[in-house]
Amino acid sequence: MNTSYRIIPCYTGDVSGVCSALFELGGMVVIHDPSGCNSTYNTHDETRWYDHDSLIFISGLAEIDAVFGNDQKLIDDTVDAALNLHPKFITLVNSPIPYLNGTDFEAISRIIQQRTGIPTFYIPTNGMHDYVPGAGMALAEIAKRFVAEPEEKKADSVNLLGVTPLDFAADGSADALRDTVERAGFSVHTCWAMGDTLETLSHSGEASVNLAVSAIGLRTAQVLRERFGTPYVVGTPVGAFSETIFSAIRKAVETGENQFPLSERLHPTESGIFAIGEPVTMGSVLAALDLPGTVLCPLEDCEALLNPNTLSVVGEEEAESALKDANVVIADPLYRPIFPKGAKVIELPHEAFSGRCFRKTMKDLFNIDYDALRKEASL
Amino acid sequence: MKKLAFYGKGGIGKSTTVSNLAVAFAERGLKVMQIGCDPKADSTLALRGGAALTSVLDLVRAKQPFTLEDMVRIGYKGIICVEAGGPTPGSGCAGRGIITALDKLRDYGAYDTYQPDIVLYDVLGDVVCGGFSMPMRGGYADEVYILTSGENMAIHAAANIAMALENFKDRGYAKLGGFILNRRNVKNEDAKVQELSEDFHSRVIASLPHSEIVTDAEELGKTVLEAFPVSDMAEAYRKLAAAVLGEDALC
Repeated sequence: MNTSYRIIPCYTGDVSGVCSALFELGGMVVIHDPSGCNSTYNTHDETRWYDHDSLIFISGLAEIDAVFGNDQKLIDDTVDAALNLHPKFITLVNSPIPYLNGTDFEAISRIIQQRTGIPTFYIPTNGMHDYVPGAGMALAEIAKRFVAEPEEKKADSVNLLGVTPLDFAADGSADALRDTVERAGFSVHTCWAMGDTLETLSHSGEASVNLAVSAIGLRTAQVLRERFGTPYVVGTPVGAFSETIFSAIRKAVETGENQFPLSERLHPTESGIFAIGEPVTMGSVLAALDLPGTVLCPLEDCEALLNPNTLSVVGEEEAESALKDANVVIADPLYRPIFPKGAKVIELPHEAFSGRCFRKTMKDLFNIDYDALRKEASL
Repeated sequence: MKKLAFYGKGGIGKSTTVSNLAVAFAERGLKVMQIGCDPKADSTLALRGGAALTSVLDLVRAKQPFTLEDMVRIGYKGIICVEAGGPTPGSGCAGRGIITALDKLRDYGAYDTYQPDIVLYDVLGDVVCGGFSMPMRGGYADEVYILTSGENMAIHAAANIAMALENFKDRGYAKLGGFILNRRNVKNEDAKVQELSEDFHSRVIASLPHSEIVTDAEELGKTVLEAFPVSDMAEAYRKLAAAVLGEDALC
């Protein structure tokens, strides 16, 4: 039971991660699942569902079709919908039942692509992982398939990678991120994937640097590095830490080397100060607060982001144990049940953890007065 | 890299034939990887000279970190032996287990690291579910060979497997390379297997004699090619290897 969750929630799942990452790109996402409605993946995990059109579908997998391995219904329904809706691409997403059945999504994707002429691909989720690998794989697949060879590199231009409401939920966050980067003298070439179309993203090879602002963006950064040699920087430009990020971007341009400014913040981990959550944003918040401390990372697909300031934790018990001597904790409010008594708390609601519970108090990380936040917490 | 999958009714002699075939390829200087796709994890026994090999799924089950080398045992003539393994008998899903094991091999870079010239998938019995069709899926075997005798149940199983391949032809799966007759010396054996192959527009690429020497080698825990390298049976396996490589239509 030591990896179970009793008194705190678990994170948004991998399937929702795919939906969130691809929501604005004009593709059709088909989740092969028995769910009769889209609520789990969309209305619960997707802040844009009520305000924007989307092309997210559930296949309505029936028990008898699962037992007999009848893939034809999925194929026919997807082809039918696609020929009516003309999506820019079709993404098939796996869920626990077809995963255990061993449904061959690669082959089904090929058949659908042959019948529709629309690029079709599969994201290997299974509903048993968190949103980071789901969203990360989805954006990386877009980078592999749709980004064109650049004719030229554009100086001082930056792609922002890993921007979804799951990590940046406050209204206007994506725009604030763009503004922050542009005020520093860079041109935001694309934003993966809020506010830009698939066509815009297809020009990402022209940017001189990629900035992975969350763990979701890392896989895409690696694909673009491999395909076009574009160096990447990992970090979120928040508060005073922005200057460090911008210096890292300039250094990446000069040297062609990837930059990990969070790894350079070597602080002792015995400070009793902890931030919990997605390691890039939370590490950057700690840096913006100019606090020595440790980021507890309960998420998957973050191995490459772990550094001396980061501690990977699996399950509630491990997180609670790691926090037992904490004096200060920066985290989503729903983590409170595992905080030690007397710890000072800075609440930063995280959509991927508490969903819509704290929408009204969701903070825009790019417009926080971090000095004031420190004073508020009496640090 | 040539990837071949071998199917056929349980007990028809797949593991024995595939292991001897592996040695025949290795004798030609080819680097061979044999992957047992059966929860019993006994495909490569005759190649390992009694050495233990932990199956891929046993490593996964232990929930401890493991490496590619932990999944592999280098056997006779340098043959790279792997056993997929399976869930505890009577529980879980063996087919899903095969998928997980083959995914692990790919994820750990088994094919890139060892770079075998030939990969042999020795697959449990019939294509009973999605998991056991995994070795014939895109990215795995290029060709499927089906072992059968002239016994009706063996022919029935072989026809089922061939039918599965036909059903999946629009999915980019492996092609049917042919049938291998592993004789049981029943009546009209040649004619029955020939008819089967014609029904599927295929061919019988080899006819292996029924020989006690196979059992004798098994008792020694070795392949025929290792235990009795100068024998008619060893020669039959070498001719089968030649046929699979397209050098000889029938042996």
